[in-house]
Amino acid sequence: MSALTLFYVGTSYLCAAVFFGGLSYRLAGYAATPSPLRIPLTPQATTVFGVIKKNAVSMAVFRALFIGERWTWVGGYSLHVIFVFVFLRHLRLFINPVPEFLVDLQPLALLFAALLPLPVLFLISRRMYVDRYRYISSGADYFALVLLLVIGLSGLALKFVSHSDLVGVKEFLLGLVLLSPVEMPSHPAFMLHFSLVLLLGFYFPFSKLVHAGGVFLSPTTTQVEDNREQIHANPRGGN
Amino acid sequence: MAKPIFDIPNLDEALKTPAVKKGASAHLKIHPAQPPLMEKLGFPPALVEGWQKKAVEKLGELKEKYKSLKLFMEVCVKCGSCADKCHYYLGTSDPNNMPVGRQELMRKVYRKNFTVGGALFGKLANAEEMDEETLKEWSTYFYQCSQCRRCSVFCPFGIDTAEITMAAREIMDSIGAGHKYSVEIIGKVHDVGNNLGIPKPALQSTLDFLEEDVKEATGADVKFPLDQEGADVLFITPSADFFSSPHVDSLVGYAKVFHAAGIGFTFSSHASEFANFGMFVGNYDQMKKISERIVQAARDLKVKRIIVGECGHAWRVAYSFWETLNGPFDFLDVKKPMHVCEFTHDLIKKGALTFDKTANDEFTVTYHDSCNVARASRMGDAPGGQFEIPREILRAVCNKYVEMPDAVNRQKTFCCGGGGGLLTDELMELRVKGAAAKTSALKTVMQEKGVNTMAMICAICKAQFSKVLPYYEIPMETVAGIHQLVSNAIRLGEK
Amino acid sequence: MGAIDVAGKSIEVDEDGYLLNLGDWSKDAAEVLAKGEGIPLTEAHWEVVNFLRDYYDEYKIAPMIRILTKEIGKKLGKEKGNTKYLYELYPGGPAKQACKIAGLPKPTGCV
Repeated sequence: MSALTLFYVGTSYLCAAVFFGGLSYRLAGYAATPSPLRIPLTPQATTVFGVIKKNAVSMAVFRALFIGERWTWVGGYSLHVIFVFVFLRHLRLFINPVPEFLVDLQPLALLFAALLPLPVLFLISRRMYVDRYRYISSGADYFALVLLLVIGLSGLALKFVSHSDLVGVKEFLLGLVLLSPVEMPSHPAFMLHFSLVLLLGFYFPFSKLVHAGGVFLSPTTTQVEDNREQIHANPRGGN
Repeated sequence: MAKPIFDIPNLDEALKTPAVKKGASAHLKIHPAQPPLMEKLGFPPALVEGWQKKAVEKLGELKEKYKSLKLFMEVCVKCGSCADKCHYYLGTSDPNNMPVGRQELMRKVYRKNFTVGGALFGKLANAEEMDEETLKEWSTYFYQCSQCRRCSVFCPFGIDTAEITMAAREIMDSIGAGHKYSVEIIGKVHDVGNNLGIPKPALQSTLDFLEEDVKEATGADVKFPLDQEGADVLFITPSADFFSSPHVDSLVGYAKVFHAAGIGFTFSSHASEFANFGMFVGNYDQMKKISERIVQAARDLKVKRIIVGECGHAWRVAYSFWETLNGPFDFLDVKKPMHVCEFTHDLIKKGALTFDKTANDEFTVTYHDSCNVARASRMGDAPGGQFEIPREILRAVCNKYVEMPDAVNRQKTFCCGGGGGLLTDELMELRVKGAAAKTSALKTVMQEKGVNTMAMICAICKAQFSKVLPYYEIPMETVAGIHQLVSNAIRLGEK
Repeated sequence: MGAIDVAGKSIEVDEDGYLLNLGDWSKDAAEVLAKGEGIPLTEAHWEVVNFLRDYYDEYKIAPMIRILTKEIGKKLGKEKGNTKYLYELYPGGPAKQACKIAGLPKPTGCV
């Protein structure tokens, strides 16, 4: 195995550990922190099932953003839908054999995944040209978007400009997943694409991107509104 | 009304998103709390040695105590959905009054001290130390938030700026930088039993006066009992009801409802306050200590249940927090607090009250949802009861009732501009500007539907609107309590 | 914190201009405080000030507005026994502005 492959294999496993470990650590931290007082945003459902039902809908359609800022919703929502297709597009590289429905989905997944730069560019320009968003945007906000953009573009380049050795890529990725790494295809565009994804993996748990899990733990949206009906003891006893 | 020395917002533009104007409300400052006031609450009398470090330590402590704070500090993506949803941003154009802008004031300190990126990259990652400049921003802009929760309605993650503002004030109090208004008031509750500092003899004379006054006006012996042991109900209401107008008109309304229903109640001189400013300053112990007086009064007076008057934030404290803070209420027959609107509404449903609605015919009434009632509590058995129960009462006592536009109604209501501990004179410019959003909706229904009365169930809203509406050339008499209108229409002695 | 000058004597007031020590009040002080508010004190204004001071002496708190209006109605005629009239006398509000001129502490709370 070449030194380069060795480096990438090691980095990939480290990245997986940081990503899953870091994200779990952050989310477990939220879950473990007490919420001594009842603070659901009312009106709120009064049963666990009701809250799940309500959130299933509102989270699936980004309801708060939809009623809050329609254009941002258009950009943000389409980007997240595209993520799903990007995932479906890449899944085939990590499993073998590829199930038939996934094969059938590929043209559609490609069509949507290829649109990724559009919402990203829209979201970047939104931050640059609307005074409110410009005021609140920092380097980190641009960094996340630019990183996504470059990952997307390098991915598209692999498909449309400089074809990689897809069989080699799949062997390499499957090898990683099955814990028996093989030589990495030394294709520059692939290496760039893959490196940037690793960077994203490392960055994710340390950044605002944890909203992806945090959204399910927010006390205002997930607490059941039985404030008065039930006795809610302060988990800390005192204050 | 004193002559304004600032520009009054144009109501026709009040709901439009303004262009960002940095520092536009930086000059609006609170009066600091004097050392004796701070000490009374156990806070340091003045800024402590090494406050920078202590403030960060306190922030570290609070983020482990409150999931809301920790999660809200970390998951914001700065999408900006909240940016123009705050009445203070709409009114002042100051970007630090965009909810996300306000949150950033704390987040930059949080990043520096509690995140890897902030520690490594500092300013590049928008991370900054707690320093003099930051404290100045905190003590300005965390007192330009009324903790109304409207921003959280539009946040994809439900981030509630109120939680952050409360934490910021708690941190500032802990290093010796308090706000005179809230700190002084809490001290009075501990000393005398209410925000105004009304001693028992004055309270007694006020209630005696009202008994006489109502007798003169109606001929009925409506009672306003104080400290009556063994009464069915302990009635707790904001002390403004014993002092201000139009607040007192609702107080009269409560007493008439009890009279008409034949249910005995009593006020308490020990717990002569429903308001709980402990919430505004984000201090759990103060909040608990303040409401503990009510529990004590209920025990001492051996009542069966507690019913509470028209006060927004205090209803949140009672409905959502009392059990946790001061429970269990096992010694009561009815262990849960009841809102006077629930009480009156139940009686109306049972047919126990008779009204002459024509008594309110000179009024075309609309209803202002108060933020803490709308977004932090409930009435009745079903979600949304906090919207429908007050409206059903109004429809039962008035012939002419009109809704305000949906965009500013119910869950999306705007704050009056004086909530969250900002109902203080030094912030008058902020209060006037913050009121523009809701006032513009009021003006719309005044012009289009002939509304001349805005009913509400919050002592702060009543005081704030009475004070600021005249700036918009709307008479202060437009403001009314729900039980004021109940009081006008209720028939006494006939069923 | 600041001070006002009353007949050559400096009297301490709080941030909002209310007397810090109630004992410092005098008719001259009232005139100075009223001038600061832009209010010329007439007989009617004095009725309010005097009633506020008497009530405060007895109860250590300003009276409920309704008690004040009723009292003024008794003294000056029924048509003047209302909040509107009081606001004509004291545009800054009978509770806050009149209390200031009467040398009473500022009412606190949701008022």
